Amino acid sequence: MGTGVVVFGLLLNSFVLCFSLQSLGVETLPPEPPSSSSKEMNFSMGFADMNVESLNELEENDLDALMADLMADLNDTEEKLAVDLEGQKEAEAPPPDLPPAPHGLSFYPVPSLSTPTSPEKGPNTFSAPLADSPAPILSPPTLPQHEEIEAQMKADKIKLALEKLKEAKVKKLVVKVVMHDGSSKTLMVDERQTVRDILDNLFEKTHCDCNVDWSLSETNPELQLERGFEDHENLVDPLSAWTRDSENKVIFQERPDKYEIFKNPQNFYLWKKDKKTIKDMKDRDKELLVEENFCGTSIIVPDLEGVLYLREDGKKSWKQRLFLLRASGIYYVPKGKSKTSRDLVCFVQFDNVNVYYGKEFKNKYKAPTDFCFVLKHPQIQKESQYIKYLCCDDAWTMNLWVTGIRIAKYGKSLYENYKTSMKKAAVTTAWTNRITTTTSIPSTPSPTPKAKASGQANGHAPQPPAEPMAKVGNAPPPPPPPPLLPTQILPPPPSDPVLPPPPPPLAVKRIPSATSVPRQLPSLPTLPTSFPPSLTYMANLPPPPPSLSQDDSSESPPDFLPPPPPALGFGPGAGSLPSPPPVTPPPRQSNIGAGAPPPPPPPPPASAGLQSTPSVRKTGPPPPKRTTPPLAAPSGGDFMSELAKAMAKKRGNQ
Amino acid sequence: MAAWDLSVAVEDLGADAPPITVSVTSDLHIGGVILKLVEKSQVKRDWSDHALWWEQKQQWLLRTAWTLEKCGIQADAGLIFMPQHKPLRLGLPNGLNLRLRVCFSGPVFRTVLGICKMLNIRRPEELSLLRPVEEKKKKKDKDLSEELYDLTEVPLTSVSRPCLYNGMPAHFADSPKTEKVYKMLSVSQPAPPPEAIAKLYRPASVVDKAHIHSRWLDSSRSLMQQGVQENDRLWLRFKYYCFHDLEPKYDAVRLTQMYEQARWAVLLEDIDCTEEEMLLFGALQYHINKLSLSEPQTMTSSPAMDDLDSALQCLEVKLDGADSSPQDMLENLTAPELNDYLKIFRPKRLTLKGYKQYWFKFKDASISYYKSREESLGEPIQQINLKGCEAAPDVNIVGQKFCIKLLIPAPEGMNEVYLRCENEEQYSRWMAACRLASKGKSLADSSFQSEVQSIRSFLAMQQTNPNTHNTHTDDSTSINTHSLVSPRYSKKYKAKQLTPRILEAYQNVAQLSLTDALLRFLQIWQALPDFGISFVVVRFKGSRKDEVLGIAPNRLIRIDLGVGEVVKTWRYNNMRQWNVNWDIRQVAIEFDGNVNIAFSCVTADCKIVHEFIGGYIFMSTRSREQSNTLNEELFHKLTGGHEAL
Repeated sequence: MGTGVVVFGLLLNSFVLCFSLQSLGVETLPPEPPSSSSKEMNFSMGFADMNVESLNELEENDLDALMADLMADLNDTEEKLAVDLEGQKEAEAPPPDLPPAPHGLSFYPVPSLSTPTSPEKGPNTFSAPLADSPAPILSPPTLPQHEEIEAQMKADKIKLALEKLKEAKVKKLVVKVVMHDGSSKTLMVDERQTVRDILDNLFEKTHCDCNVDWSLSETNPELQLERGFEDHENLVDPLSAWTRDSENKVIFQERPDKYEIFKNPQNFYLWKKDKKTIKDMKDRDKELLVEENFCGTSIIVPDLEGVLYLREDGKKSWKQRLFLLRASGIYYVPKGKSKTSRDLVCFVQFDNVNVYYGKEFKNKYKAPTDFCFVLKHPQIQKESQYIKYLCCDDAWTMNLWVTGIRIAKYGKSLYENYKTSMKKAAVTTAWTNRITTTTSIPSTPSPTPKAKASGQANGHAPQPPAEPMAKVGNAPPPPPPPPLLPTQILPPPPSDPVLPPPPPPLAVKRIPSATSVPRQLPSLPTLPTSFPPSLTYMANLPPPPPSLSQDDSSESPPDFLPPPPPALGFGPGAGSLPSPPPVTPPPRQSNIGAGAPPPPPPPPPASAGLQSTPSVRKTGPPPPKRTTPPLAAPSGGDFMSELAKAMAKKRGNQ
Repeated sequence: MAAWDLSVAVEDLGADAPPITVSVTSDLHIGGVILKLVEKSQVKRDWSDHALWWEQKQQWLLRTAWTLEKCGIQADAGLIFMPQHKPLRLGLPNGLNLRLRVCFSGPVFRTVLGICKMLNIRRPEELSLLRPVEEKKKKKDKDLSEELYDLTEVPLTSVSRPCLYNGMPAHFADSPKTEKVYKMLSVSQPAPPPEAIAKLYRPASVVDKAHIHSRWLDSSRSLMQQGVQENDRLWLRFKYYCFHDLEPKYDAVRLTQMYEQARWAVLLEDIDCTEEEMLLFGALQYHINKLSLSEPQTMTSSPAMDDLDSALQCLEVKLDGADSSPQDMLENLTAPELNDYLKIFRPKRLTLKGYKQYWFKFKDASISYYKSREESLGEPIQQINLKGCEAAPDVNIVGQKFCIKLLIPAPEGMNEVYLRCENEEQYSRWMAACRLASKGKSLADSSFQSEVQSIRSFLAMQQTNPNTHNTHTDDSTSINTHSLVSPRYSKKYKAKQLTPRILEAYQNVAQLSLTDALLRFLQIWQALPDFGISFVVVRFKGSRKDEVLGIAPNRLIRIDLGVGEVVKTWRYNNMRQWNVNWDIRQVAIEFDGNVNIAFSCVTADCKIVHEFIGGYIFMSTRSREQSNTLNEELFHKLTGGHEAL
């Protein structure tokens, strides 16, 4: 079946979770959700390979149970709330640690009142929203009065429930990504994820070198088009435009043209100069050129002009015209007029169109050459008079124009993307080197379990933006470090006999901090110092369900996974996590809580073998790291960092 | 040593008063002469600002420790004792005329620093003074008793950075009068009537533009030395087009004046742009105008405070939300809708049915329509998602036609749909909703109301019917769209055609705050291909015809006058050195790779060209790290020429 992407909107996250939990180790496409006809679902669904019936059943059962729980909980809280409303108001002086929770509310579409009753919208067991709502955990330690605690809890529960509902509306797609070697990987992408997130995700899953050229592209076989997504774009948006029967594909590949503009800016900005000057450009001059054009108050678009062939509307002929690129769009010079600005006629502006490479247009459209590019609205998927086809004399010219248009359209974002990519690439190289030098342990576990794990590793530590340290921590080293982590993290470790048992000492150390699982209690709080970094993980890992329910049933609605993620670095509250009793090196933890999640140490000097290895492990394991997710964590982080920024500014002011 | 008589005119005594004669010896220093002079004049006042000006030699005697002999002064020297700071009439980029006291004795560069400090403009090195274009004396300029804002009484502060009081420098906060002036400096001026624009001088060619640049004053010499007299008129303009470290928080005046200079450059066709760009400029001007008029000086609160406040508010709202019952929350969160009978027409269908009436519902970002209101609970006949669509007005007020033309993207292409509304009111709401939806926003978006408002005011602008006496008298509607574009486009389009197009462009900027709108205007300006190029007509060595040299922030451009095309560009990055031969007035530049060029300047003095090049080199040496210290010495070294050495 040719469905490149299995598009299915998930209003119900629980379903997804179930899926990812249970299908571990099996490459399969997600089964159809129980009732796909829901009115709430406004996207197309297309499925291939429905070979998992039993799975389906299981899910429904799960769903029912979850749903019942949610309903009970909601009713319960609603009632109580109505009664306690008055008292609560005082009790609920906005604790500073709460912001992340409400944050979600403002962002996502609202479920209608009917939501709780229809099973698909059941509670979602995603760990992501949990990260959003540290409140239930935080409050008990902070509030002295029993009543207040209760009131607080109630309020929090409601909030939590509402967020769940909200979260349930987040659109998700399961995307099949074709790898450069022709194989494919399937991932779930939610609408808040940027292409950058997904690339990071893929870096973890594949063992590519993470260089800046790696990109996601979409192809449209019907129109014979191809376009590299920009890193800051959302993936779900463009994919939603695909038709139900689309043959379009998402490809993960290296595209040297992606950031060529920053590597050799002279090719674009000094294209008029002679070849030699361009070739002999000094690095310093290149930097200057980039700075000049991308770091000023305004982005400067290369001043391209040249004769291109334009495919006449509806006709099969190609006509030559003199085109000019300006920041405001592409213009052409009408017959008999000059090149002065006032005479130019606007051919297209970039607000509503994307630029695509055309493939083999010589055949398809009788183009003069195969070096064609196309401008069209992203939603247009089929032949249409609204598509603009242009043809260049050579590949070089085409590249010039496409890149120029991207600069005009995306401006500063392109440069930001590049800088981020560079950082990732640099860190990865550092890691690669580091790992190869320090240890030979990495037995490269089979990628399968990890890929699966990604489905659930949605909560992740918010990364303080622009903190090099954190970056280090987040960059996945390509050869995944020792497999210990996967074993412990993947709740049901169904299919990884492959993984070698963890080296004992290290493993032990990790357990208490990484997961708040009582049964794994061999917590040896030997080195409290080693905890902080792992706390982040805690946030990342969706803790195994069974233990969780034991753990937190007293405090949070039973149907939701308890939220370990407060550790995510909002507020000092993180320090008071009730989770693993033994682990309480207080000073350190509160530090963490107060600021950003502690960045795992950057590649430490490779002196002590023992020490360095653990650190490698901590940062290395792909599953926890998964930067992709969701919402809560990253968005919460954003909000907090915004607030922090504002605070800092204010302080600066006074 | 023999004593001799030196007569000195004292300006403050009046032009007719006889010069004061003091008895001096050649070894008396200048300070001593001044002392004697002051004693003899018997006027008790503060003389500290006064200095001696040597008329014949056109120079100041500022080194008070030098002796008369060393200065070369003998009995026949015509000296004038006068204040170093005198009033000057200064035209600002926004057209405002100020009268303020400036330094006539220091180099112009220093004078500009003083002016900018007073006006609270940071980065004064980017500005300079030039002589105004002479206005043709028409009809005994009767109405031209131009408004002049007197700031001569404002004391000059000596603090390096004026402390802010009430959002403005303390020296402006003294009186309501000066406060008002500051407001005029920091808030953009309303659009001038189109007739006024048409009357102003517009350069018609590159050569005309080149002539403007011959007017710059020499930065290394004083105003007096360049023949500028008390109360003369000069313009203050941004001269170097690389704006360093623009920070809206501190740069209220700088930003506003920069915007004004950009706006006038666009309106007077000093810089060329395309029609689309002009319309966007027009839309931004309209928006900025509106905001400047409506916003009651927000300068008192700093942006950082706003950030914090809004962040806290946001937080509060969210927490409040948590207090209310889930039902309330859900209700609050349910999106509002629009419901109405409208008529729809789809030209693609090959029917001649024309408009047909249905019951329309607008929710989230899509339109659904039903046979009738009663059926609106069931399945709609069709639901149209407007995200990513283009919504254009198709309005004729006289004909009472209020249509919305929608181009809706679909996999097969764009679908054209027309919605016809009954009246202005309905149209404004539905149009606003369509606009928001096209950007993926729902009706719940806070900008909905303002969107409706702006559509209304644009409709009002189209009411050209002279019979209907302007019922709308609020300021925002009284703007003439013709004053937002250059005369070329004023002539090309009627208001009826122009207004909807500006409205269309306006949709993309309507959400911007005042500061963002100003910045956006500057950005678009800076992105124009011709931005920042100052032209000079030159004669290249070995060439027989005049050509134009364009001096840009990062490069020099050689333009063929005949064709008007760029022949060659040289970047400063590759520049090895440049020299000026002051005797033959020739500039010689050497670039990497043994490229040498030399030219003499036709329209401007070569000092001006030299200063431009040196100035841009200087500007590029500034970096964020060096923050606020201005390396004046380096500037003079790079721009001074032989006088500085």
